[in-house]
Amino acid sequence: MTQSGLLVAALGTPVLTLLACLWRPVRERMLGLLVLAPLPALVVAVMALLGTGETAPMILDPGRLQIGLALDRPGTLLLGVAALLWSAAGAYASTYLRGKPNGGRFAVFWLLTLTGSLGVFVAADLLSFYLTFALVSLAAWGLVAHDGTVRARRAGVVYLLLAVLGEVFLLLAFVLLAVASPGDSLAIGAVVAALPGSPWCGLTLGLLIAGFGLKAGLVPLHVWLPIAHPAAPMPASAVLSGVIVKAGIIGLIRFLPWDAGLVDWGQALTAIGLCTAFYAVLIGITQANPKTVLAYSTASQMGLVAAVFGLGLAAGDGTAVTAGTFYAAHHLLAKGALFLAVGVVAATDARRLWPVLVPAGLLALGFGGLPLTGGFLAKLAVKPVLGYGLVGWLGTLSAIGSTLLMSHFLHRVAANPAPEPGAAAAPGLVWPWWVMCLAALGLPWVLAPLGGLGPWSHALGWATLWGGLWPVLIGGLLALGLRRWGAHLPKVPEGDLLVLLRNAGRVAAAVGDAIEHADGWLRRWPVAGVLLLVLALVLWGAMLASTR
Amino acid sequence: MDSLFTLTPPAAWGAPLLVTALMLPVAALMLAFVLGGRHAERVVLATLPIGLGVAVAIAAAVLHQGATLHYDLGGWAPPLGVSLHADGLSATLLLTTAVVLCAVGLYARADFRVPSGAREARAPLAFWTLLLAVWAGLNAVFLGQDLFNLYVALELLTFAAVPLVCLRGSPQTIAAALRYLLFALLGSVLYLLGGALFYGAYGTLDIALLSARLASGDPIAPAALAAAALMTAGLLAKTALFPLHLWLPPAHAGAPAAGSAVLSALVVKASFFLILRLWFDVMPDPLTHLAAQVLATLGAAAILFGGILALRQARLKMLIAYSTLAQIGYLFLVFPLVASPAAAPALDLVQAPGAWTGGVLQLVSHAFAKAAMFMAAGLIAGALGHDQVRGLGGLGRVLPMTVFAFALAGLSLMGLPPSGGFAAKWLLLSAAIETGQWWWTLVMLAGGLLTGGYLFRVLAPALSTRGPPLTLVKPVERSRELVVLGLALCSVVLGLVPLSSFGLVQIGRLGATGIGLP
Repeated sequence: MTQSGLLVAALGTPVLTLLACLWRPVRERMLGLLVLAPLPALVVAVMALLGTGETAPMILDPGRLQIGLALDRPGTLLLGVAALLWSAAGAYASTYLRGKPNGGRFAVFWLLTLTGSLGVFVAADLLSFYLTFALVSLAAWGLVAHDGTVRARRAGVVYLLLAVLGEVFLLLAFVLLAVASPGDSLAIGAVVAALPGSPWCGLTLGLLIAGFGLKAGLVPLHVWLPIAHPAAPMPASAVLSGVIVKAGIIGLIRFLPWDAGLVDWGQALTAIGLCTAFYAVLIGITQANPKTVLAYSTASQMGLVAAVFGLGLAAGDGTAVTAGTFYAAHHLLAKGALFLAVGVVAATDARRLWPVLVPAGLLALGFGGLPLTGGFLAKLAVKPVLGYGLVGWLGTLSAIGSTLLMSHFLHRVAANPAPEPGAAAAPGLVWPWWVMCLAALGLPWVLAPLGGLGPWSHALGWATLWGGLWPVLIGGLLALGLRRWGAHLPKVPEGDLLVLLRNAGRVAAAVGDAIEHADGWLRRWPVAGVLLLVLALVLWGAMLASTR
Repeated sequence: MDSLFTLTPPAAWGAPLLVTALMLPVAALMLAFVLGGRHAERVVLATLPIGLGVAVAIAAAVLHQGATLHYDLGGWAPPLGVSLHADGLSATLLLTTAVVLCAVGLYARADFRVPSGAREARAPLAFWTLLLAVWAGLNAVFLGQDLFNLYVALELLTFAAVPLVCLRGSPQTIAAALRYLLFALLGSVLYLLGGALFYGAYGTLDIALLSARLASGDPIAPAALAAAALMTAGLLAKTALFPLHLWLPPAHAGAPAAGSAVLSALVVKASFFLILRLWFDVMPDPLTHLAAQVLATLGAAAILFGGILALRQARLKMLIAYSTLAQIGYLFLVFPLVASPAAAPALDLVQAPGAWTGGVLQLVSHAFAKAAMFMAAGLIAGALGHDQVRGLGGLGRVLPMTVFAFALAGLSLMGLPPSGGFAAKWLLLSAAIETGQWWWTLVMLAGGLLTGGYLFRVLAPALSTRGPPLTLVKPVERSRELVVLGLALCSVVLGLVPLSSFGLVQIGRLGATGIGLP
């Protein structure tokens, strides 16, 4: 089969599976098949990574709008690891949700989200990208609100409101991109190349960063992360934090003009990213729910990726993309694995936790850059981009912060084992967790050349190892302090900044009342009759004015 | 000899089609009256597919020739005779009307069946004949070329549409129908007044002649401007543009579902179509620039106002009716975007002018989506015995296909890809930015948010599984669900059709001939 045919199969498989769900008996049994749907995408990504040549894009209407699919290096890397997590989390979901009601509905939303999520990594034009992005954003609502509890429904509303807001930003940005681009082509490469010369360049960039930043969890639009993650079922949280957030990252990769050297915008993005990285750690350590802590950690990590992208944007340096993608790919694997671990721990007796907690600890401290973990390589990859000045120093500080936050996570997750003595997690939960854990620890070493890293021997030098270890040690010391004095920290509600909007509902109701009142008045006969005549006069006046 | 082998002149096969499109519903109406009883339904169901075929043929002929189809009735040219005229827009609307009416006809069979035993029943006979009358009125509006004939067509349409509202005969629906009738008549008076002023000033009401005389270079008589303003205001009253919407919510929500679908999807579009004809075919371009801003401002207010009110309705049908109010607002954004001085250079582009195509696409996709939505609401109300939005929890489990169709139609209303509504919104947004009128983009995007909000109010509880399972008062026929789903799919599929196919709607427009479109 040709490569473009494979590309179609990668997206077509989840779509066909979805169509099969229209038939109720298939839908009821679909949970067990979720593990298979992402596999063609995994095959495509592996083949593209093994192959040396460029993957040929598949364009439906060459020479015109250029609608189609394409696979580039960052897209391939993220597609591969995303497909792996989708598959593992799908297997996990079939056990996790077995015997619970509404499995069919969950499977439908899962497959919808999956289709969109894989699609954003391969979409080659504005329209396909918008379609797949909207699909992954909106369909994930069904995963967030699946439990149907008051909390899940509230999380669903918050999630959907912000997702739709993001869609609005992006729609406007995409229209601006299309209008500013000379030719008919809607290929992403073509319209982005025309962006620096666009009369609305600043506005477009602002909208793009807002729209994608919202999805990636950048402050202040990160508030959906800590609300949605704890409410969703465990496997759904894993893909939310692992993959869905990456839709924002691939968006930034695809739509920022890397060659233009936009210093101001680059610096702004770096500032937003670093603020997110530290802010999320500070809020995260006040949280008690391990899933909420992980959600804040995701925001913090994506903040660092955004900072790396900002530096690349300012310098007109494409290597930032390579490094940032590698960092994001590691985060995808490790964060997905950790969410699965939370579920495994919750089903395991307190005395049997160590076989889960030790590998989970390695993964968690990997976010701080613990040597020999995948996270260590990820930190090494972004180090040259962050540099050795103020930003580089702040990057090291964020590694300390991440260690602190993840130690707090380990503490919290260990405090929530299964209450029944002798309980053990079902094998269907354990093996996907192990697959993801090993992938998160091992795959970065295999993929290191894609992150722009040299041979392993370079990474294994003593100086490098020590450079990775000392922030972890400091973070560990701080974590001890947190355990000792953490009780004195203020309690911040999940979704921190949302508190500011707690009166929004009342204001909206008041506005609605006023408008309803106005409607009643406008729909009275005398009012409507007079308005009709006034309107005729106004139109006449407007036309008379035009003749002058 | 050569002449034998040349193609038939296009006008020769266009003419019978136009006459058929006009006369078919009228003939069917007569037949239904004469035969009466159970036959009315059979006549309608037999005629509708033929009408659909004719509409397809007209669209194909217009697209194939890349030019407007003309036919002078009896060979008498205006101003003496009556001529029929189908440009790309007319052809598109004829086709839309035929598709929606076919669906409505299939859907309404269950609601308007003559009870077994009876020979004839009031409501079914009234419904089927009114449906034909609405169809006749719509086709006459889309094909007419003379402002007075158009007035007659519009009146026929109004008098056929008003009784549709009160078929049920309850006091509320009769009050709603009266409201509709009186306000529509007020609109008619203004229209007629405008027509009289035009005739007094230029001595003709034929659109082509009038347009030629207005553009002849002499200063335009203030009376002609007053005529245009009065006619527009009258038509706005019939279109229910904010703030002239007093009749729309109770009328559209009170009619039986099949009637609501026709009213919301098609009837309000007829008067909108006439405003388009008046503004872009009759009046010279520069005159309308400032007034276009007025219309679009009202449209913008309608989008926001209707959206917010839809968010607060307790009944599903009222929610959909207010949504119509908001969606009509989008149509009026077309005026400043097409009439803008900056739009002129855009004529050379492949999709030129995008605003026109976008507006027509919005009109058509809204027609399909809204008809599907009202009919879905009818199925829901029939199955549950009520249509309170609060009582829809768990609906997805008992009526999955209806909820799915409702959601698909909502996709298009909200402007999410891949739907006709998305393509329309994309084109309108692009046009707003190209012509430097960015403020309309804000309104369109805010309208999308509000639409998402009121659809969420319906769909979120429908998909939830908490609470006791719903019990159905009455089962729902699968065939009716399929009809609704089919219409909803139409509104979505519109977005997948490559934009160049919409070259059809440009045919007969300013300079754009449609020839050469890929």
